[in-house]
Parts: sequence; C-alpha cells; structure tokens
Amino acid sequence: MSLLELKNVYKIYGDLHALDDVNMKIDVGEWVAIMGPSGSGKSTVMNIIGCMDSPTKGQVLLDGVDIASVSSKGLTDIRRDKIGLIFQQFHLINYLTALENVMVAQYYHSMPDEKEALEALDRVGLADRAKHLPSQLSGGEQQRVCVARALINHPELILADEPTGNLDEANEKIVLDLFRQLHDEGTTLIVVTHDAEVGAAAERVITLEYGKVTSENGDTSFGKAARKDVV
Amino acid sequence: MFLRMIAGVLLRQKGKMFMIAFTIALGASLATAMLAVMFDVGDKVNAELKTYGSNITVVPKEASVVSDLYEVEGASSVPASYLREDELGNVKTIFWAFNIVDFAPFIEAHVNANGQDVTMVGSWYNHHLSLPTGEELDAGVVSMRSWWDVVEGRWLDESVAADAEKVMVGVALADELGVSAGDSLKVSGSELSGSYEIVGVYEAGGDEDGQIYAPLDLVQELSGTEGLISSVEVSALTTPDNDLSRQAAKDPTKLTAAQYETWYCTAYVSSICYQLQEVITDSVAKAKRQVAESEGAILDKTQLLMLLITVLALVGSALGISNLITASVMERSQEIGLLKAIGAHDRAISALLLVEMIIVAIVGGAVGFAVGFGFAQIIGYTVFNSSIALSPMVIPLVVVLVIVVTLAGSIPAIRTVLRLDPAEVLHGR
Amino acid sequence: MKRSTMYFRMITASIARRKSRMLVALLAVTVGATILAGLVMVYYDMPRQMGEQFLAYGANMIFVPSAESDGMTIEEIQDAIDEIDAGVESDIEYCYESATINDAPIIVTGCDLGKTYATSPYWQIDGELPSAPGEVLVGLEQAEFFSLKVGDTVPIAYLPPDAAAVANGVNLNGEIEGKVFQDFTVSGILDTGGSEEGYFFISAEDMESLIGAELTYDVAELRVNADAQELQEAADKISDAVPGVSPQLVKRITESQTTVLSKLSALVLLVTIITLALIMITVATTMTAVVTERRREIGLRKALGASDGSIMLEFMGEGLLIGFIGGLLGSFLGFGFAYLVSTNVFNSTITFLPALIPITIIVALAVTALACILPVRNATKVDPALVLKGE
Repeated sequence: MSLLELKNVYKIYGDLHALDDVNMKIDVGEWVAIMGPSGSGKSTVMNIIGCMDSPTKGQVLLDGVDIASVSSKGLTDIRRDKIGLIFQQFHLINYLTALENVMVAQYYHSMPDEKEALEALDRVGLADRAKHLPSQLSGGEQQRVCVARALINHPELILADEPTGNLDEANEKIVLDLFRQLHDEGTTLIVVTHDAEVGAAAERVITLEYGKVTSENGDTSFGKAARKDVV
Repeated sequence: MFLRMIAGVLLRQKGKMFMIAFTIALGASLATAMLAVMFDVGDKVNAELKTYGSNITVVPKEASVVSDLYEVEGASSVPASYLREDELGNVKTIFWAFNIVDFAPFIEAHVNANGQDVTMVGSWYNHHLSLPTGEELDAGVVSMRSWWDVVEGRWLDESVAADAEKVMVGVALADELGVSAGDSLKVSGSELSGSYEIVGVYEAGGDEDGQIYAPLDLVQELSGTEGLISSVEVSALTTPDNDLSRQAAKDPTKLTAAQYETWYCTAYVSSICYQLQEVITDSVAKAKRQVAESEGAILDKTQLLMLLITVLALVGSALGISNLITASVMERSQEIGLLKAIGAHDRAISALLLVEMIIVAIVGGAVGFAVGFGFAQIIGYTVFNSSIALSPMVIPLVVVLVIVVTLAGSIPAIRTVLRLDPAEVLHGR
Repeated sequence: MKRSTMYFRMITASIARRKSRMLVALLAVTVGATILAGLVMVYYDMPRQMGEQFLAYGANMIFVPSAESDGMTIEEIQDAIDEIDAGVESDIEYCYESATINDAPIIVTGCDLGKTYATSPYWQIDGELPSAPGEVLVGLEQAEFFSLKVGDTVPIAYLPPDAAAVANGVNLNGEIEGKVFQDFTVSGILDTGGSEEGYFFISAEDMESLIGAELTYDVAELRVNADAQELQEAADKISDAVPGVSPQLVKRITESQTTVLSKLSALVLLVTIITLALIMITVATTMTAVVTERRREIGLRKALGASDGSIMLEFMGEGLLIGFIGGLLGSFLGFGFAYLVSTNVFNSTITFLPALIPITIIVALAVTALACILPVRNATKVDPALVLKGE
C-alpha cells in the first residue's frame, strides 16, 4: 500500500520551475532517500511532503488524501497527526529543556506526558540529558532530541531534511542507527540529503535534478561531487 | 564597502529602521515639547496669575494715614496728597518696562449720588497706549479687575467718546439706590455736579460693590483734582523673591555694587518698585506681599512640577528608546554572527551598527524635533492661548539627549551580541 | 500531565530562561506603567495640592455680621464653620475698634495673633508677633506716622461708645471721662503692602481688657480648600443655618483660582496625554521587536503542528504575564513618583488611589496584548518552511 504518492507535481516560482512534473510513490514502511545537488528541488519536495508548502499544479496523496487541495489549517492538522519533522538546523526551542522540547510536540498533538517523553529521550540515549537546555547539548545530542521529538507522536511518516548536515561522523552514525531502528519497527522514513553515505543507508534513492526525477534507484554517482557543496 | 553596507541596511531593512526612527522621533518630539513647555511655563503661568490683580501699588509718599481708616470712621473728606498724572507714562520707561503688563491710575473722590454719600473712583478701563517702543497696550480696570462680573449692561469703553460722561455702579450701591443700567445718576462732587448715565452694574465681591467707577477725567473734574491721581496699580511679571531681594527691599543702599547690579537687573518685585519710585516724583511703590509672595510660591511650584514631569517623561522615553534599540540590535545577532564568521573585526561591526543607529537617530530626531515643537504650540494654544517660545536651550538638550539615548541603547546590546560565538549564533538557535 | 500545566511551563520557561529579552520587554512595560500611574496620580491630585498653594493668596471666604446683627460671637462663627463640608484650612476672627493715640484716631484690631501664621503667611514682620499681654503689632504706615520702633511704648486710649454718649465732662487732666488708657509695647512692625499696614494688632485678651466687654467680631476670614462653586454652596447653607452670620466669597481669590487652576490642570492633562500616547507607542514597538525576533520559533511551532490559535495563545500568555508584572510594578513606581512630586513640590503627602492599580494593569495588559497580536499574526501567516530555512 502506498503511503505517499506525487502525481505530475509542479512548483513554479515566476519563471523558475522548481519542480517539473515530479512523480513518485512511497510505500508504508519504506526508507527512501531523496537526493540531488543544491537547487535540484529536493527542498521543495520536502516542504510539499511536509505539508509546509503547496504545489502549483498536480496531486499529492498522503494516506489517500490529496493535500494539494487542503486548507492551510487542514495542512497543520495533517502535519501534526501524521508527520514527524527533523531539520538540518535542529530547530529546538532554546529556552526549553530537552525534555520540554519533546513535550511541546506532545502538547500540540494531544496530551503532554512526561513519562512517555522521557522514554523517547531514553531511546535516543539522552535520558540523562533531559534537563539540559539546547545550548548545553552538543550538535549530535541536539539532533537526537529532534529525533525523539519527531517520533514521540508515533507519526506515520518521519521526514528528515539533511539530518546529518551539521553533524560529525560519530554523531551521523548514531542518527543513522536510530533511523535504522525506526525502519525496523516499520516507520516510513523519507530523508532529504546530498550526503551519499546517508543516501546509501536507505532502501531506495530518488534522485532529483533541475526539478525532475532522474533516477529511482541506488545511483548515487554524483554524490561525491555534491559533497563539496556542503557549507 | 562600509557605506554600501550601511546603505543596504537602511534601504533594505526599511520596516525595522523606520520603526526605530519612528520611536526616536516620538521620543525627540516628547523631549522637545516638554522642554519647550517647561522653559516657558514660568512666563505663561506668571501671566495667568495676573488675574489676581496688580502686585505693586504706587502711592504718594505723604499718603494720608490710610484712607481705609477714614472710611471706617465715615469721614467724607481726606486731606490727601497726590501723584501727577503726567508722570504715568514713565511707568513704561523703567529698566523692567517690558515686564509691566498692565497698570492703571486711580483717583478717589467722595461724592453725593442721588442723595447718598459714596466713594467715586476714576480710572482707566481699556486705555489705549502707544508706547515709544512701538508696543501697543490696552491698560486699565477691565484687565486688572478680571474677576469682576458685569451683571448688567457693559464695561465702560474708552474708545467710545460718549462713555467719557458715563459711569458704572457697584451692585450693592445699585440695590441701595434702586438704579440699574441705563438709568441716570445725579452726582455732586466738591467742584461740579451733573447727571450721568449708568452703563453697567458690576459685582466685585468687595468694597467696590458700594462704589461708583467712572472715567479718570470725569472724577477729576467733579472733585477739582485735574491732573492728579491718588494711586497707580501696576501688574508686573516678577521673579520670585530670594534672600538678595529681601535684603534689598529693606535698604538697597546697603548692597555692594555687584549685588546692587544683580538686584537692579533682575525682575524682583522690590527692584521694580525701586525703579518705579525713581520715575514718579514723591512716590512710594509698595509690593502687595499677599499677591507677590503667593505668585512666587505658585510659580516655583509650577516650575518644579513641570520639571519633575519632564524628567519622568524624558527618562521614560529614553529608557523606552534605548530598550527598543537594544531589542533591535539583539534581533540581528545572526547577521552579526555571520559578519564575524567571515572575518569582520569587532570594531568594524560596532562601527557599522553605531553609524547605522546614529543615521537613524539623526533622521528620527530631526523629525521629532519639528513634531515636538508643534506639540508645544498645541499645548500653548490650548492652555494659554498663546504660542510657546522656543528657548535656545532646547535644541542642544534634545540633540545631546538623542545621541546619549541612542548610544546607551546600542553599546550594551552590541557588546552582548559580539560576545556570542559566531558558530553558535549561526547554527544553534 | 494537563495541557494547561504544559502551557504554563512553556510560558514561565520562556520568561525565566530568556532573561535579557524578557527584561527588555518588562522594562518597557514597567516604564510605561510607571509613567501612566505617576502622571495620572499627579494630575488627579494636583488641583487639591495646587489649591492649597492658592490659599496663600489669603481668605477666599469671609463672614461679616448679617444686617440685623452688630457683631458675631465666636460660637456663631464656629456654628457657621461647622456648616462647611469642605476642609477649612484656617480661620481668623477680627474685632475692629476705634481708639486714639494722643488724640489721633487709630484702628485697633483684636485677634488671635497666633493664627496669622496660617491665614496670612505673606506678612513680613520686623520684630515679633505679640506674645505677652500688653504688646502690639503696628502696621508699617502707622509706625511711620507715629514714629514707632520695636520696643517703644505707646499709650492707646479707648473711649467706650456708651461712655462717649454720656460724656459729660472733662477730668482734671483734660481727658474725657470713661476713657480707658493702656500702655502697649511695640513688639513688631508689619509690612504687607496692603491695608493691614494701617492697623494696630493686639491679642484678643488685651482687646477684651481694653474695651472691658466680651468680644464680638466684625470679620472672620476663612481659607477653605474648595472651588468657587463649592464655596457658593457652603455660603448658601450658612446663610440659612446661622442667621447672625453673612458669608461672602472673596471673588478676587475664588475667580482667579478657578481660572489659573483650570489652566494648570489643562496643562498637566495635555502633557499627560501626549506623554502617555508616546510612551505607549514606544512600549508597543519594543514589544513588537521582541516578538518579531521569534519568528523562527513561531515557524517551528507551526511545523510541529501548532495551530495559529494556540501559538497566539502562548505568545499572548507571555505578553500578558509581562504586562501584568510590568503594570503592577509600574503602578507602585508611579505612586513613588507621585509621592516624590508631592513631597518635593507641595511638601505634603499624596492620597494613594487604589483604583489606579487595576487601571494601570489593564492598560499595560491592553498595550502589550496589542503589541503582541500584530507581529505574531504576521509570523503565523508566513509559511513555516520559509521561516525555518532562515531568511
């Protein structure tokens, strides 16, 4: 059964075709990497899948619902109920502790539950750092808090945007291990990246170039070149 | 490049910069308005206090032992000495002539009106004076007795020729005699008698309610005292008394030359009295302590009150603006982090931010100054019906204030932001 | 855990852990609230305080005997004073009698001289007020006329009216019979620039022994802390209630006070309004800057699935908490300012207006709420993706 399906999706800014007739299909439980160089449109895809942006044209079916035609309020609800987001820049609220940051997601979703939030932190190996503020955590730890936050509401889909972009190799490995665990538990994972190693960890790689899907399998040949772009 | 960066911020961050400039303009306008009003409030309130009547009376040196006393005794004629009417003009020639806002001569006569002995007072009403200095002035009872109510008819009008032969009657006397405005009154003085039309009945709330008020010339003719007056009342804007003026009031000759100079050239009520005595022969100018001291006290209090309110408003707006600048500098910590990351020195960043803020402050301050001057005029016209003079002190004060406030607002914020680690600012937020 | 608990946890965390920013916002609100409370309190209290200053101009109400009465007894005057609802700051009663010094007519005034400090603060006395029996305060004009200096002795002669009427002869000294002589010591010379300079002032007790009868008073001067209208009402009441007393308003004082005081009130009111308007705008812009800074956080909360409404609720909660604390602090600081003004300018304490605390807090809440709504609304309108990518 497919969880997500993009049918003939266009996103046009003025003259620029950020997405040009994109089609893709992602099944429940799959681990997919979306790759491509800067400007290839992968961020746009990510925003559309994450219900933070709407396509100019085309259909985006999430769980069979066309989110292109949902109001912004409806998008908020879908985002809340079905998607867990992980960002390159972590985006933790800097005045809340690790535990509280996880609880914020619970708060907007349903009911804050401190025990459950602690369990989530324990799962990413941060139970002892629960009372720390983001500024007291290392980059890797911050990203693990984000993973805990993303999985706390048991979303159908976890969407990660360059999750390892700001991490060293050791932390990158920890995060990828976490993804592997989630995948083994049956969570659908979509990871947007231009890191070949991260892409290689996925079951399937979708490559975007100039707003078009150029390959649908594990071809990551451009990956090494793209690495130089990393800021 | 420096200039380009500044221009870039100013032009592209229009919204934010406009908000800061707007707030600085508000603060500057508040400062301008408050300072302008504060520096001028003394003169304005002083002028208002003139409704309490004159604060100086000039009487002949050999004044009879208090005409008041004889009134109580009911005596009808007083052997009195007089001042000379032709010396009246001298009042406006003294050193502090400009501070004399009003004055009027008085002549009293005891007359018989419709069979009753009464006091008749001759004076000016709206006597038009064209002074050699070019000043034009309507002096007289109308303005010096502003608390009188004309309950019937109208005031005597000296610009109407026919009014020279008409009189006004106090409300108590009018009741007693059973006369009202429009009636005529038979008056016989020591020299002359005649019948005069009553143009108005006034209520003064004092002894004047039992008297007749008439033009100066008329009373002089009736009593045969042409060219003579019994007293002059003067309303002068004065500086509140201090130790020097009290010492001088006792005996100016005991002052040192320097003290004398200071005293003579300050608008103390005692120095104005002294100067009046100099120009009117055989006269004694007396400060009405009741009026002079109360005015001084009220003036002091009003100025102090305005000063405190001004200080509060200025401190408040200074804090408000500093605060806003701090907030807006902090808001840009990311941009500053970036500048640091690409190798800008702290000093270069500070210079950039400060110059930006100062340009915004100058623009805001200039606009605020103009608006604030407008506010001051609104206050002036609403409250005192006259414009507020702009003291030269206001401009430098506002400029200094704006600069200090801008620097005080930016420097701590810039220091805080500079202390941040660029990497942390760029990523970990 | 309840949702509301988490809500308060987030708000308090935001305030407690973002100290510098919150301090900036709190400072802005506190300053605004201080100015509001301070100026309003000064404005409210000024007419009363300034009114007291105007009392220095002298009595604004006088009692004279009514037409059918020769003089007022002290009881009648007290009855009349009791009729006045407003505060009677001071009162003084004068009894005038004609007397002579070496056959020259003079007016002697008997009164409670101690009260003149309060009723006539403008009196300048060279020497001292009479304190012992047999002392007299001489008006400047009279002192010049009779060439009197402090310490001189002056014989005052009083001829009782009944004695004058039945005077039937001249005694051996060439004096009219029944005439009472008494020597007085000049304790001070009085300078007022007004009619008082023409009188001799002695104590009420000396006056009684001089005239040999109980005093009835010719004039009572009162300083009442009230405006012209209240005075008129009081005067009407007294006329009805105390037949022997005819109250009169001293128009020169009452009218002028009304004029000057209303101008001063208008001045302070205008200044207050302008200052408040400007300060409130400053507070609002500062709050706006503080909130605008958090666009990114708003974007993140949206990405996590927060509705616009709940984001608004959180920011408003924070804003209102700051508004409340700032308003509360401000109303006390404002009272401090008003107290400062009152003690420094008017040498008196100020009446604390408890109603001003809730008013100040409500205004502070309204301004902060208004200042939060706009930037939060703007931030929630932006797509979270844009905000999160960083401008």
